[in-house]
Amino acid sequence: MASLKRSFESDPFAQNISSKVYVRSTKSGKVQKIVREVYLRQDIPCSSKLCNACLKIAPRDAANRPIPFVLSEKPAGTSVFTQGHYIVPDTNAFLSAMDLFEQSSAFYDVIVLQVVLEEVRARSLPLYNRLVSLTKSEDKRFYVFFNEFRLETYVTREENESVNDRNDRAVRKAVKWYNEHLSKTSKKAPAVVMLSNDRDNLRKAKEDDIPAYSLANYVSQLKDGEQLLDMIPELEERDALIEKKPGQFLYPEHYTLSKMNTGVKNGLLHQGIFNVSPYNYLEGSIRVPAFPKALLILGRENINRAVDGDLVVVEVLPKDQWKQPSTQVIEEEAVTMNENPTEEGSDLISEKERKVLQEEAKRTLAKTTEGHALPTAKVVGVIKRNWRQYVGHIDQSSVSSSAAQGRKQDSVFVIPMDKKIPKIRLRTRQVAELLGKRILVTIDAWDRTSRHPTGHFVRSLGELETKAAETEALLLEYDVQYRPFPKTVLDCLPKEGHDWKVPASMDDPGWRDRQDLRDLLICSIDPIGCQDIDDALHARALPNGNFEVGVHIADVSHFVKPNNAMDTEASIRGTTVYLVDKRIDMLPMLLGTDLCSLKPYVERYAFSVIWEMNSNADIVGSRFTKSVIKSREAFSYEQAQLRIDDASQQDELTNSIRTLLELSKKLKQKRLDAGALSLSSPEIKVHMESETSDPIDVKTKEHLPTMSLVEEFMLLANTSVAAKIYEAFPQTAILRRHAAPPKTNFDELANQLRVKKGLDLSVESSRALADSLDLCVDPKEPFFNTLIRIMATRCMMSAEYFCSGTQSYPEFRHYGLASEIYTHFTSPIRRYADLVAHRQLAAAIEYEAVHPAVRSRGRLEAVCKNINVRHRNAQLAGRASIAYYVGQALRGKATEEDGFVMKIFSNGFVVLVPKFGIESLIRLRDLAEPEPAATYDAETYTLTTSGSREVKVELFQKVRVRVTDQKDETTGKRGVKMELVSTY
Amino acid sequence: MPLDTSAYSLALLRVDGRRWNELRRIHAQIRTQAAADGSSYLEMGHTKVMCVVNGPSEPGPRRGATSGGGGGGGQSKNAEVAVNIVIAGFSSVDRKRRGRGDKHILELQSTISQALAASLHTHLFPHSTINISLHVLSQDGSLLAALINAATLACVDAGIPMTDYVAACTAGSTSTYAANDEGADPLLDMNHQEEQELPGLTVATLGDSDRVAVLVCESRVQVSRLEGMLAVGVDGCKQVREILDRVVREKGIKMIQEGTVERGVGLNDMELD
Ligand SMILES: [Zn+2]
Repeated sequence: MASLKRSFESDPFAQNISSKVYVRSTKSGKVQKIVREVYLRQDIPCSSKLCNACLKIAPRDAANRPIPFVLSEKPAGTSVFTQGHYIVPDTNAFLSAMDLFEQSSAFYDVIVLQVVLEEVRARSLPLYNRLVSLTKSEDKRFYVFFNEFRLETYVTREENESVNDRNDRAVRKAVKWYNEHLSKTSKKAPAVVMLSNDRDNLRKAKEDDIPAYSLANYVSQLKDGEQLLDMIPELEERDALIEKKPGQFLYPEHYTLSKMNTGVKNGLLHQGIFNVSPYNYLEGSIRVPAFPKALLILGRENINRAVDGDLVVVEVLPKDQWKQPSTQVIEEEAVTMNENPTEEGSDLISEKERKVLQEEAKRTLAKTTEGHALPTAKVVGVIKRNWRQYVGHIDQSSVSSSAAQGRKQDSVFVIPMDKKIPKIRLRTRQVAELLGKRILVTIDAWDRTSRHPTGHFVRSLGELETKAAETEALLLEYDVQYRPFPKTVLDCLPKEGHDWKVPASMDDPGWRDRQDLRDLLICSIDPIGCQDIDDALHARALPNGNFEVGVHIADVSHFVKPNNAMDTEASIRGTTVYLVDKRIDMLPMLLGTDLCSLKPYVERYAFSVIWEMNSNADIVGSRFTKSVIKSREAFSYEQAQLRIDDASQQDELTNSIRTLLELSKKLKQKRLDAGALSLSSPEIKVHMESETSDPIDVKTKEHLPTMSLVEEFMLLANTSVAAKIYEAFPQTAILRRHAAPPKTNFDELANQLRVKKGLDLSVESSRALADSLDLCVDPKEPFFNTLIRIMATRCMMSAEYFCSGTQSYPEFRHYGLASEIYTHFTSPIRRYADLVAHRQLAAAIEYEAVHPAVRSRGRLEAVCKNINVRHRNAQLAGRASIAYYVGQALRGKATEEDGFVMKIFSNGFVVLVPKFGIESLIRLRDLAEPEPAATYDAETYTLTTSGSREVKVELFQKVRVRVTDQKDETTGKRGVKMELVSTY
Repeated sequence: MPLDTSAYSLALLRVDGRRWNELRRIHAQIRTQAAADGSSYLEMGHTKVMCVVNGPSEPGPRRGATSGGGGGGGQSKNAEVAVNIVIAGFSSVDRKRRGRGDKHILELQSTISQALAASLHTHLFPHSTINISLHVLSQDGSLLAALINAATLACVDAGIPMTDYVAACTAGSTSTYAANDEGADPLLDMNHQEEQELPGLTVATLGDSDRVAVLVCESRVQVSRLEGMLAVGVDGCKQVREILDRVVREKGIKMIQEGTVERGVGLNDMELD
């Protein structure tokens, strides 16, 4: 305690105080002026291990520990600064080239100025977070110098000086101070070098004799710097744009932020997330609160440099410009194929694009029937870019022959794997090396003068189509955290490692408040080869004729304590990601596949939900308890099914599984009666050759009753837990909801069913939908019903995690499961939401005290937001992985399969092949050479071709297709190619 | 815009450049309004308050509009300490107006009334009222502490007998409640941004002693951190007391030099009881 009472050393009246004035605008558009005091001081150290003067003033925390110094006494040199150097980048350098600073080959001993950190934070939170994690990394030696608080480096803004200029001046002053300060330590003190990509700032630095270089200039002084050159964006000139002639602008100017805010506030403009159609890169849509249906944004000029995912502001176009959504497939690659990356044409819309658009216009004009036209809009500005790093490959056709050999810097196009992202213009010196590689790039800017965005190279992932490169590409594209767990995380694991056991003595603290359920006949049922066993079950008859049923879930929260490094890592990962040949774990292997996993024959900690049920599967009572269990067997679905079906097996364990199966059937019937939907998406299994893990076959998964068995009890456990934690924490329970889809989502499908099949789809409630889906059958075609279910699923909203305080009770409803309240509890090894639910349930049953992180609403909302995104990405990554392996499995084989037309355009149609669970576009030009003429009847969803090939294709039609593999030149992915064989 | 309070760990510096154990600049004056019995003006950083004290006075036919409730009523053996706070609309960035019946203001009034009643010798003035009127001109955190300090100074100026100064300040912690950071440093004297983002408390002590006259904690914080926060707060109160004392003495010396007070009745000789 005494250490806390340090006397106030300096005279408080003699402190240097300065006022800083900030202007900020609030969400509602008001402008506020904030005056704040700044206390200037002289005891902020330079943090160089060479400096003894600063060592004396090193600040200490309340426990009297001094802060260790960061900058090395022997920093690396460059060809110019052989004595060694420290780097001071300006804001612009970090904003445009953060990847560069994260390199392990260079960029050590970096001084991050406070003014720079503040500016980076104001401009981009993700980049700020990356910068902060660099400052925390021990080996990179990044030091944050609070120049704005140090008397000698503080600068006041001069009259008529812009904030930017003032901040640049502050950077230069800090660099100057550092150089003077360090020169006192020794004659051969390291130089302190400013890095900037702003010409103006560099010029002023030169005038003041401050060592300063552009990023490119600096990198060229480094050994092996050449490889880094491509990662550097071009020099920026702040006013460069204004000097250009207005005629050269290809795009309309974006509105200022305040103009957009005013517009949105008085309802003239609308704000929302911009989405690009997966079939047409010139068609975007945006959902805004003021319109029930999404607004269409058509054409390059209206899209006005918005990229998929950006937060934009749009203006609705006059009613006479409202249009139908496109019925045509327009692929960027096909249309813009021959554009030259080095020269920007003076027209925004190329000849080819114009032709395509005119055809579109003709069609819509001829057909515009009232009511079909949708409101259209144009983008007037971007509030927030959602740019990330993109995986792609260099478009071979954009490469000039000289560039493919020399080391001259050249412009090329990169085609992103994500078709919704426009191609990116890239300047690089390594065209020859990068051709045919999967590469990672970022977008730097999209000027009004440039048809395509410009970006820079980040790194190469390897040869196209190699398993390693494609897998990493996939993980990057879906933002899956796949790096090995850092040491800080592994340090949180139990010291005993694999030798950890449930303590033998029941006096051990681990046994506190745990029920001993080791004598119960518990078993687990999972897919073949499952190692991370989250759940196990038991059932037994009670003397009163009822049954006791238990669901036992791995007690992960026993091992993962809130807020430690492992918990933080898991909360960021959010979920385990399953790829065909790889699993990216949320938790370290030791826990996931061993200590937490409810493996058979060993004792494990569990969290149990135990019900008493009557023979009608009505719940008589339920309770929750931490427990110790010993699973008797780990079955696969198939094994369990065989055992149930084999009447000769009359042992107690098998009979208990039979009991579970009987009860689960009743539970399922109850759910269906309540209106639960049975939706489907084809589940595919890729069979691998065990030695080489090359895919050899693709099969749809068979559905077994034992799968339903497990599913039903998991749903029941989730629902029971949801009710319990909501009761205990009405404001902060973590729950999962599935909103009812807006009726308009089904408009098109309902119309299609009515027109083509004379069937009615009623969507008033989930029950009505479930019933009408049951009636959507084609007696001749059993798959038809599944097809409609697949299509209906795509009209649904996606389920989401939320914190109970953010919604009113009726909004909790899970539409698909027809449950009032729901959460995820049963898979804590692979989902973070379940782990949070475990902690809340433990607190609810008073097993342990509530940890603040578990009941801070703000914190939970952030967790929900993240895991919703991660969950979605994990699903997409899993699907993409299957698509890749299906492509590989089909490599060099050609098979004929049955397929169904599930979407139809005026110049092509999409066919789903159930056997492989894949769908693919067949365009008119794929039908025959030359491309046949076609007429498309939008009323009857019929495409009739004539000329080189005559076929009639209708929606829902069964067709025969030849499936082969093909490398998609656009995305560089190997995928399936379908050719129409016959239409039956 | 400046960084937020999470940047503290980068270099042990707070959002305004202070260390964990440093007070903001305190500037105070007494006898700022000649017409009143006692008056003061006090700044703790950008928090600026003014205080006027009238009384003790026998109750007239009508009593003051608002009473803080400390001490006792007009009929009691002790003087009533009536506190009235007016928060100027322009004092905070959002310019929100607070009415007289605002719960937050009522609570501040009652807290200050009780704090001062603990030091003022109210028993000397039965059936009377001491009216303390406080005006908030600018808010940047530690408002309650600033109000208590200003009221203390004005009471000294008014010459109301009291045991000792009631000196107040705030203390906080460098990381949020949810972060549950065992190693968080305590913080002295929180500004507005820190109060918004971090847990904190207001503490007032009586004179040089460790006797706590006021302890208000409206945020959620782990018990384990409370002890450190309180120790820093109490330590801060002592620093505040020194500053208040210096203001009073300097004013006294000045008054003697100007002849407002007779030589010989030096402040050091003044009997307080
Ligand atoms: Zn130094």
